[in-house]
Amino acid sequence: MAIEFKKINGDSPGYFAIVLVFAAVVAIGAISYLANHFGNAPDDMSQRVPWGIVNGAIPYYIGLSAGSLILSALAGVFNIKKYKVFSRMAAFLAIAWIVVAILSIVMDIGKPLHLGGATLYFNLTSIFSWNAFLYSSYFVVCAIYLIAMFEDKQTATRILAGVAVFWAVMVHSGTGAIYGYIYSRELYHSVLLPPLFIVCATSSGLGLLMATIYLTFKYTGRKLDPDLVRSLSKVFLGLILILAYFLVDEMFEKGYMPGLQRAIHFVFLDPSQSIFWCFWLLLIVGIGLPAFIVVYPRTGRDLRWLSIGGIIHAAMIYAERFYLIVPGEVFPREYLPGYTMTSLNTLEGSIVSYTPTPIEWAQVIGLFAVGYLIFLIGLKVFAILPEEATEEVIEE
Amino acid sequence: MISRRRLLILAGASAAAAFAGVSPIAGSPEGTSKDPNVPRWAMLVDVDKCTECVKELIKKTGDPHVKPPCVVACDEFNNVPEFEDKKKDPQWMRIAKFSLDKESVEPEEFYMPLLCNHCEHPACAQVCPTKATFQRPDGIVMIDTHRCIGCRYCMIACPYGARSFNFEDPRKGLRHINPEVPTRSRGVVEKCTFCVQIVDEAMERGEAPEPACVKACRLYSKNALVFGNVKDPNSEISKLMRTGYVIQLRPGVGTDPYVFYKFIKERP
Ligand code: SF4
Ligand code: SF4
Repeated sequence: MAIEFKKINGDSPGYFAIVLVFAAVVAIGAISYLANHFGNAPDDMSQRVPWGIVNGAIPYYIGLSAGSLILSALAGVFNIKKYKVFSRMAAFLAIAWIVVAILSIVMDIGKPLHLGGATLYFNLTSIFSWNAFLYSSYFVVCAIYLIAMFEDKQTATRILAGVAVFWAVMVHSGTGAIYGYIYSRELYHSVLLPPLFIVCATSSGLGLLMATIYLTFKYTGRKLDPDLVRSLSKVFLGLILILAYFLVDEMFEKGYMPGLQRAIHFVFLDPSQSIFWCFWLLLIVGIGLPAFIVVYPRTGRDLRWLSIGGIIHAAMIYAERFYLIVPGEVFPREYLPGYTMTSLNTLEGSIVSYTPTPIEWAQVIGLFAVGYLIFLIGLKVFAILPEEATEEVIEE
Repeated sequence: MISRRRLLILAGASAAAAFAGVSPIAGSPEGTSKDPNVPRWAMLVDVDKCTECVKELIKKTGDPHVKPPCVVACDEFNNVPEFEDKKKDPQWMRIAKFSLDKESVEPEEFYMPLLCNHCEHPACAQVCPTKATFQRPDGIVMIDTHRCIGCRYCMIACPYGARSFNFEDPRKGLRHINPEVPTRSRGVVEKCTFCVQIVDEAMERGEAPEPACVKACRLYSKNALVFGNVKDPNSEISKLMRTGYVIQLRPGVGTDPYVFYKFIKERP
């Protein structure tokens, strides 16, 4: 029996209430953006820390998108029938998140009005240039893939799923390369970043997807076989453990270099720094706790707990972005390696703190709400939700 | 129904494609000129003289954050604003103190100016997505502020912290405006241009250019800075480069900076 996909009616007060809530969060984000860019609402970025958490939003949302898409498409590529119920939903979320990611770029740059002209120039050596092309084409690939699913074109869907996975990997590796290929900052420069980005993307994308599936099915009154989510949680567990492995490996590799001792102490061992908390909370709360939730039988069988685990992980991946982007800026570069430098008129040479302001957080959270607003409207406009999701129906 | 849905998605997709980057590939990395008649501009800093100047100034004024004549001249000529908040204050030329922490020996600390190095392989131009940052055939690395989207990727990539972002409208931080140099707006990046207006004007007149900082240092202090064409073996800078131990900053990253630092200390 084929899976039946349906739109939701979306006329209940509950639906409107939740749409309104997300719309309000979006509005607060938009106002914060305007106040920050065109008024005097403060951010804590500086000449030393020019990339803050709104910049962090770019890789974060691209990650969620790539993660969703990879999961959606893998079901198609490897023909894992039981996950096909989620394929449309995940692909649609992927589109929503890439829209949010492109919006984050627009919100992060200083001159959004120059963007139009900027597309006329392509810098072959700029990873960002390549990414602009990758992000937009990725959007198109996602859209065509979703259409193929809507039209029930089996072979086309399968081929497109393969293309989509390849594209998502390219897109997100490219995003990792933006940071990892920065050879002038020791704390950025890392060959691990592109693969680490892929793992982060799939783990956070899957974490959020589990929660989204659970909540959507619950509130639209659809039947959901718990075993489907449980088996997803096993994949999730594998991914977060790989992520932990990457992070720890990177920590030891950097720590091995005497020249980086001060920086390493600052990042990993100094509790007075927010970076310290980002890293260790990420490991303990963002990875350890969700891993425990999946493994411990009581919580591992309970979809509510699994959703919480997924959400915690996805949220803590934001800490990962912070840990990735901020220390490399905050910790001073050595223009004359080995010498202590004090600048007379600037903050160069000293550790420059960065504590994101509420105005910055409002923008990041507003962007998140944009993603779910698109999703909620999508549920009403497109047939992306299966009638019901049970193993028996699908495996027959 | 299906066709309307398809239309909707395709319309969205093509709008996004048009918006971001599916555009012709324009040009290739320029690089500096190989033509011997085109100069290659560079600066040489005499670290010993610079240290002497800054130490004297700090002693005289009692202000550890004093701006020596070169920095003052740079700020004034190039309309570099001054803001209270050091976190947001843009700065083209900076003076920094360097010391080797060896308590038992206490080697003498020294001062050097820091500025854009107008690198041969500029990391900033390499990463700039819009080619707003570009390198002229004479080596000067410039920013087209009308093309800059303010992504700050160049600030992340530059190994020398040479770039500043205009978090504020820089015109608000200027006491007077030098009409020779265009002011910038909020949301773009700026940095030292080797006083490109002075360079171009001098070239037109067939004279040797002297950027504002170099001139100020010569007129009001120790004459620690020299600017010139390193392709010409008989230029003043080339001659002086042969008289000392010359280093570049962070040569290991391969950007090949063209601000050189000369270390010679008079024997007591
Ligand atoms: S010093 Fe920095 S800003 Fe100047 S050319 Fe080199 S990389 Fe670019
Ligand atoms: S901030 Fe401007 S100059 Fe710098 S990389 Fe971005 S577009 Fe280029």
